[in-house]
Amino acid sequence: MSSSLNCIGDVKASRREFLKVSGLALGAAAVPAWLLELEAAEAEAVDKGKLADAALSAARTLRASYADIRINRYRNENIFTREKQVQQVSRTQSFGCGVRVLLKGTWGFASSHKVTAEEVRRITLQAIEIAQANAAYQRKPFTLAPVTKVATSWRSNFEKDPFDIPLEDKIGFLLKLNEAALKVKGVNFINSSLAFVNEQKFFASSEGSRIEQYIIRSFPNFNVTAVDSVKGDFQSRRSLGGPQGMGYEYAEKYPWLAEAEQAGNEAVEKLKAKPVEPGKYDLVLHPTHLWLTIHESTGHSTELDRALGWEADYAGTSFLTPDKTGKFQFGSKIINMVADRTQKAGLATVGYDDDGVPAQRWHLVREGVFVDWQTTRELASLVGQKTSYGCCHADSWGSVPFPRMPNVSLEPSKEKITVDALLAGVKNGILIYGDGSYSIDQQRYNFQFGGQTFWEIKNGKKGAMLRDVAYQSRTPDFWGACDAIGGEATYELNGSFFDGKGEPGQSNAVSHGCPAARFRQITVLNTAPAAGRS
Amino acid sequence: MLLSEQEAKAICQKLLDYVKADDATVSVESENYQHVRFAANNFTTSGRRENVEASVTLWLKDKKGAAQTNEMDDASLEAAVRQAEQLARLSPVDREYLPTLGPQPYKPTQGYIESTANISATERAKAIDAVIAACEKENVTGAGFHQARGVVAAHASKNGNFSYGRASLVSLSLTARTQQGDGSGYFLRNHFDVAKLDTGRIAREAIGKALRSREARTLDAGTYTVVLEPQAVADLLGFIGFVFDARLADEGRSPFSTPGGKTKIGEKIVDERLSVYSDPWHPELPGSQVAQGGIPAQKLYLVRNGVLETLVYSRFWAKQKQEEPTPGPVNIVVEGSQPPASVEEMVRSTERGLLVSHFWYLRPVDIRTMAITGLTRDGVWYVEKGKIQYPVRNFRFNQSLLEMLAGGNVELIGAPERVSASESQGSASALLPALKVKQFHFTSQSEAV
Repeated sequence: MSSSLNCIGDVKASRREFLKVSGLALGAAAVPAWLLELEAAEAEAVDKGKLADAALSAARTLRASYADIRINRYRNENIFTREKQVQQVSRTQSFGCGVRVLLKGTWGFASSHKVTAEEVRRITLQAIEIAQANAAYQRKPFTLAPVTKVATSWRSNFEKDPFDIPLEDKIGFLLKLNEAALKVKGVNFINSSLAFVNEQKFFASSEGSRIEQYIIRSFPNFNVTAVDSVKGDFQSRRSLGGPQGMGYEYAEKYPWLAEAEQAGNEAVEKLKAKPVEPGKYDLVLHPTHLWLTIHESTGHSTELDRALGWEADYAGTSFLTPDKTGKFQFGSKIINMVADRTQKAGLATVGYDDDGVPAQRWHLVREGVFVDWQTTRELASLVGQKTSYGCCHADSWGSVPFPRMPNVSLEPSKEKITVDALLAGVKNGILIYGDGSYSIDQQRYNFQFGGQTFWEIKNGKKGAMLRDVAYQSRTPDFWGACDAIGGEATYELNGSFFDGKGEPGQSNAVSHGCPAARFRQITVLNTAPAAGRS
Repeated sequence: MLLSEQEAKAICQKLLDYVKADDATVSVESENYQHVRFAANNFTTSGRRENVEASVTLWLKDKKGAAQTNEMDDASLEAAVRQAEQLARLSPVDREYLPTLGPQPYKPTQGYIESTANISATERAKAIDAVIAACEKENVTGAGFHQARGVVAAHASKNGNFSYGRASLVSLSLTARTQQGDGSGYFLRNHFDVAKLDTGRIAREAIGKALRSREARTLDAGTYTVVLEPQAVADLLGFIGFVFDARLADEGRSPFSTPGGKTKIGEKIVDERLSVYSDPWHPELPGSQVAQGGIPAQKLYLVRNGVLETLVYSRFWAKQKQEEPTPGPVNIVVEGSQPPASVEEMVRSTERGLLVSHFWYLRPVDIRTMAITGLTRDGVWYVEKGKIQYPVRNFRFNQSLLEMLAGGNVELIGAPERVSASESQGSASALLPALKVKQFHFTSQSEAV
């Protein structure tokens, strides 16, 4: 466990004090605009503890059996460039509060961008009115698993707060990256961007918890395109490095320039690459690709709310059901999948979830058998568990917290198995890097994934580049076909800023770590026009 | 409370007054949003959100910066403007800068109904209870989503332009599943007027499909003739909007690029009976009065009688290419030129094929032909000799949309109906017809129900 949990005791500390205690005081070189913004916000400083008291006591008076309030500030910085120019530089922030109540076993929620005592009381009343209106027709009341009350603060693990880094450095970073790709002969276009997120979250519940969290995430990204205008063809190659729960050090430490040049070469090479012949192949999947397959097939199928039909109208249900817990053969014996909200640099890594439950690590699949679920306080008791695993999350002060995915990762082999060793066992196969097109059915059985680059494997060696590759399989068959996984040295963490779920749709940032892995005899399609039909 | 025109104008003016930069556009949006979800025939989450967001984009000479805040006090508004100026100062020259627009002649659209924007929580609870009761009566498990939204958007420029518009939207989707998990049905509709959202029909259709999709048989994947209900067409065509971008086509990276660096404007791209247009004042589907770049929206044909009539030129790209900036699209209507066929007529005329009601998890796999993959969901039926024979299990498809809509492949076209792509959860709207298509490529089976 790498994330620092530092209890500061007094959670009523002002925002500026919180920043100091958390070691986040702004350096003298910080962009003055942020100072201005901070001062404006400080002028309007709100006493979150007092506002929480106002909401929670109003909820109690109005007979809520449970209530919580979240007072959150979200800061986003986005920079977009293409070729030699900057297209957009923007900073946004969103501040507000949301009150959730449980009344007669029925939820109500209301939220506002005005954060005053009067407004907090008004939205608490609204939340009660909504719960009351629906409670008149409620069939089965909800109950919550117990949680230990806590007063604490937490910050995510990062070295350099990206919001303190001068804009010139960030623009310079992107333009250099563009230059590296554009100097490759045959490259026509590059779009690149930097996205930084800061969440400043305050949570207080009627059960006495008071939690403050400060979270940073970073996402450099690019897409290189090569056009063959004579043939009317074009191919793109996106960056392989995904978003991370890290600070600006991610932009500095990862070899972005080398990757941009490599991406340029590969986009050009793709134009001339050999179209894949559809058929069955052994696949060796790199972590820059496999993370998304884990996400769709394992991350979502082990969400208990889906299995219980709570997401049936949109995201869907799951092929896993409570009666399969501890019995169902999910994959081959070498498959161990771990859910982990404490993982270093994980996008879903937090101190506490939006139920006030501490971050945890647990197995979902052990030695190939499906063993456990992702749960929240309202879900835990429905599968006979005493406490929640802490998977409750809302993407904004104005969104209702509900079950969201923790980081879900495939454990590496304890043996020192390299990518070359995985290739060595393949006569006729395909090596895939990067995530591409993705689609999976509503019970998480049938899926199809593309990628960024595809390479022939012939007699144990990486060969020529292929194009237009997608593979299609069925979750338990696919994981059952995994006969070798790489060691720790091949392990990488990748992920997404934008995992969508729920109605109204909410976005969740989540990481998936994995080693490279090998899968036997998987169906491969050719996705090019007029090909790939079976 | 949604901002009145006067209030919105005052915030815009305040932002513009703070601007010291040479040029700027500002906007303010306010929103009232309410939802209720239900699942396992039980109310799950329900809530509301009130928010206001002010945005500023400004140029110091030709250097651009942008900022946004949802705190409406003077200090926060000024801080946002100062921050945008700070960003502009640090930014390189914006080579795509064009002076902001002066006053424009907008023609208002009528897509706002007060009782939709401020829906009654008790009336809504009663309506959802009736939907759940209908599920219970037929012994199916209902999961659904009801949302209601009122939105105000105001824009102003330093050069004197101002617009103010209001819109409302309500939607309900229901997924009904049989207790044994062997049948599932889905139905979604939306409207800007809550009085015109037929919640009873939504319940009947979804429950009926669930019951009729039980005991599905397994059919081989392959190429089939398909009858696509309007919902299925909405799910497929939810993807087409972005591809009409003129710049991408000119740069050779669009399905409408041609070898040699030209575009397909003027060429036949789909069946000649099909037209695709945008109409801001359509009574069933009012769009925004403001099109891209702040220009006044106009009725606009993208495809007329199968021919690509125009692509969408941004103000910048229009200037580069000596074209006019495109006043849309602000909504999408697809219609056929012949008398429309009903879904029943489409089935009756089918010798052997499939009736598809809903698609799911659609993702592009090859932008060059608008090839997408995805799956059928919540009801597929085998049709033979003009009759629905039995339900079949779901399929994955890989299909080029251009190939699907090509002349010779489209057999029958229905009357456009107001529908919403299911992956938009009821938020997107379009007027789309049912279609009967000769060849559609299913590439594998899915056992998911």
